[in-house]
Amino acid sequence: MAEISVQHIDKIYDNNVQAVFDFNLDVKDGELIVLVGPSGCGKSTTLRMIAGLEDISAGKLLLDGKDITKTPAKDRDMAMVFQSYALYGHMTIYENMAFSLTLRKENPNVIHKKVLAAAEILGLTSQLNKKPSQLSGGQRQRVAMGRSIVRNPKVFLFDEPLSNLDAKLRGATRREILLLHKRLGATMLYVTHDQTEALTLADRIVCMSMGHVQQVGTPLELYDSPANIFVASFIGLPPMNFFDVKVNGKELVGDGFKVPLSDEEADVIKNYQGKEITLGVRPEDVVDNGDIKLRVVMNENLGMNTLVHGHIGSADTAALKLTAKLRGWAEYKNGDTVGVSFGRKHFFDKETTNAIRKGAK
Amino acid sequence: MNREEEKLIQRDRMRFTKNSLSSTLVYIAILFDVFFFVSIYKSDVGSWYYNILIGASILYNLIFMLASFLASEGIKNYKFSFSIVLFVLGAIQICRIFIYPMMAHSATVDLQGEAVTVMGDGQFFRCVIYLVCSAACLIASAVIGAIRSRTLAAHMATITEKAA
Repeated sequence: MAEISVQHIDKIYDNNVQAVFDFNLDVKDGELIVLVGPSGCGKSTTLRMIAGLEDISAGKLLLDGKDITKTPAKDRDMAMVFQSYALYGHMTIYENMAFSLTLRKENPNVIHKKVLAAAEILGLTSQLNKKPSQLSGGQRQRVAMGRSIVRNPKVFLFDEPLSNLDAKLRGATRREILLLHKRLGATMLYVTHDQTEALTLADRIVCMSMGHVQQVGTPLELYDSPANIFVASFIGLPPMNFFDVKVNGKELVGDGFKVPLSDEEADVIKNYQGKEITLGVRPEDVVDNGDIKLRVVMNENLGMNTLVHGHIGSADTAALKLTAKLRGWAEYKNGDTVGVSFGRKHFFDKETTNAIRKGAK
Repeated sequence: MNREEEKLIQRDRMRFTKNSLSSTLVYIAILFDVFFFVSIYKSDVGSWYYNILIGASILYNLIFMLASFLASEGIKNYKFSFSIVLFVLGAIQICRIFIYPMMAHSATVDLQGEAVTVMGDGQFFRCVIYLVCSAACLIASAVIGAIRSRTLAAHMATITEKAA
């Protein structure tokens, strides 16, 4: 069992720069939590504080109910996998994987059994006599994971482990991590700036920005019900389209375009009548059948879908950019006009940038 | 883990670990040879005959160190043939006792009417001890290497058999 409770954690560096503000999170046993956010948002700092590699300036860190805020990293029973693999080049894969246990003076026969078991899980059995330089990036990352597995730690921590890999290898290694999590059933914390990794791997995602937690939830919750404009723009590829609109009865009025609302949608923003709000529409929720005129600028064919980039609204409002992800193969040219409508809509308060939920004032 | 299983794992470990005991013993043998190498200089009494013997010994030392080092790399990887090489090198170290230190021991040379001892008792015993230690390390390394390489070969044959 390994449950982590992070309570009101702050990180303030010696130069008074605060990297993390009041971070709270309860991680259940066997859960895979992904910390996601742009560079410099404090996600790696948070992970390093949990690992014990950074001091915690304020707050508490509990592991299975035991306070480990001041416990040194080596005594926390956590294993960390780094982006740069951190393998010893002069040692074989076997020696690399056995190294941490050798340092702990474990029985060599026990070490051998653990290394072989980890190598079997990771498909590295045939590579054990090789040096890291003889392996591909993906294999090296698997060795780094193997080094963690042999320790049988309570918690696995991954700090952007796939960032050094090319796109194809990243996808394959990502699936391996997911399988590994299912197989080991271990508690894992995973840091990434890649939202695809976050959405595909996580049981729950912690979305961070500027040292603050923006939203904690399942991948579907973050995608479907983003808490604010930041989460809405960060989760989803291509990112969500945003427009400033005025609520006018059962329609939204933008600069040169109108968006009709369903009864349910109108009910959500009934308290914003006559006010300006931010409308968010995901590219995949734009349908090429409607009254809103999309003036095409460029067209990207992805095979199954076509990304159409253009502008809506008044001809002089270049800021009203819209990206539509249309089904099928389409061949639009610069200057073409497509009639579009919006499916699922997201509403955000213009001042607070928070999502408007039903009953909000 | 029972005794039988432990033995099996011990054998299996050899697939991924080096025979560092044997190679370390070879390095120690080289070290003792260096001590011997340094010790014989004291016998440079200016006699051409002993100078030639020292020169020959130095030349052999260089060959010995190179051969031992290469053999240590081979034995590290459980190669049986290098056990034979090390055994031969060890035997030569023993034979050397009867060549240079023995011939020079208590011998005197007449230098300008003065009788000079080529190698005294102390120096002689030191040289003998260094050579004996060097030979012992080499032979021990060869024996351990031979046993381990045979064990590993048998273990690999079992694995191959099982896989087939």
